[in-house]
Amino acid sequence: MHIPDGYLDPISAGVTWAIMLAYGYYAYRHSELQKYMELVLSLAAAIFVAQMLNWPIPGGTSLHMVGGALAAILVGPFNAFFVLLLVLLVQALVFHDGGVTTLGANVINMGVIAPLVGYAAYKALRPRVGVFWSAFVAGWASITVAGTAAGLEIGLSPWFPYGWTISVPAMAGWHALLGLVEGAITGFVVLYLSKRAPEYVRL
Amino acid sequence: MTRRFLALLIALALISPIFGVWLANLINYHEPLDVAADLINQAANRTILNDTRYQMNWTPFIDYTVPGLPDWAGYIVSAFIGLAIYLVLYMALVGRRGRVKRTS
Repeated sequence: MHIPDGYLDPISAGVTWAIMLAYGYYAYRHSELQKYMELVLSLAAAIFVAQMLNWPIPGGTSLHMVGGALAAILVGPFNAFFVLLLVLLVQALVFHDGGVTTLGANVINMGVIAPLVGYAAYKALRPRVGVFWSAFVAGWASITVAGTAAGLEIGLSPWFPYGWTISVPAMAGWHALLGLVEGAITGFVVLYLSKRAPEYVRL
Repeated sequence: MTRRFLALLIALALISPIFGVWLANLINYHEPLDVAADLINQAANRTILNDTRYQMNWTPFIDYTVPGLPDWAGYIVSAFIGLAIYLVLYMALVGRRGRVKRTS
C-alpha cells in the first residue's frame, strides 16, 4: 500500500503533507507519548519487521501487514499515529519503500485512516462479539478503507481526472479480500495479549 | 522490551526472506497498488503513474537490499538495520526507566 515517488502530482503531495502535519499536531496534543513511549517504540519495531513478511495470494497479488488497527487497539489511535509514522519514516528514508513526496499520503492511509477505522470498529463491536471477532473486523476494515483511500489518492491526478473510477474499485476489491489476513493476524495477536498480557491492551 | 519480545523480533527478521524474497519472487510480487497503477496507465494509454524510485534514489539499501549481498541476506541485514534504529531510539527515549511494569 506504499505509494512510491512519482505517483502524486505536486499539489496532491503538498496537500497530503499538510494534512499529515496538521493531524500530527492534533494527535500529539491528544496522545500520551511519554506514558506510552515504550509500547510505541516496541510496536514500531514489531510492525516494521512484520511488514517485511509479504503474503502471496493466489492470482498473483500479494500484501503485507499494515498493523494500523492493531496499534490503535493496543495504544489508542493518536499514539498509533506515531507508531506508524516511525515505521513509514524508516521505510521511506532508509529503504525507499514508499516515497518522500508521497509520505503524507502514506501516513494518512496507514497512520491516520487505518488506526481510526480499526479503533472505531473494535470499540463498537467489542461488547457484542468478543475480543477475537471485533479485532478481526477492525483489522479487515482498516485495510479495506485505507486501501480505498490510497486508490482515491493515486486516481485523483489532474493528468488523468477519471483515474479514480478505475483505481478505487480495484483497490477496494483487492483489499477487502486481502484484508482477511490482516484481520486474522490482528484478531490472534489481540486475543493472545488480552489473555496473557492485558496490561498492554488499552481498549 | 522483554527478552521474549526481542527473540520474537529476531525470529521474524530471520524468517523474513522466506516471505519477502523467496515467495515474492515465486509469484512475481505484485501489490494491489501496482495492479491499480497498471490499470490507470492502460486506460490512459500513456504513463500517468510513473514509479521514479530508482531514478531518484539516495539510499544504498533500496527495497531492502544491501550492495554486494544476495537478496535473501540483504533482506535479513535490512531487517536488522531497521530494528537497530528502533532499538537506539528505545534506549535513548525509554532506557531503564519508565517501563510498563509487568504484574505476572
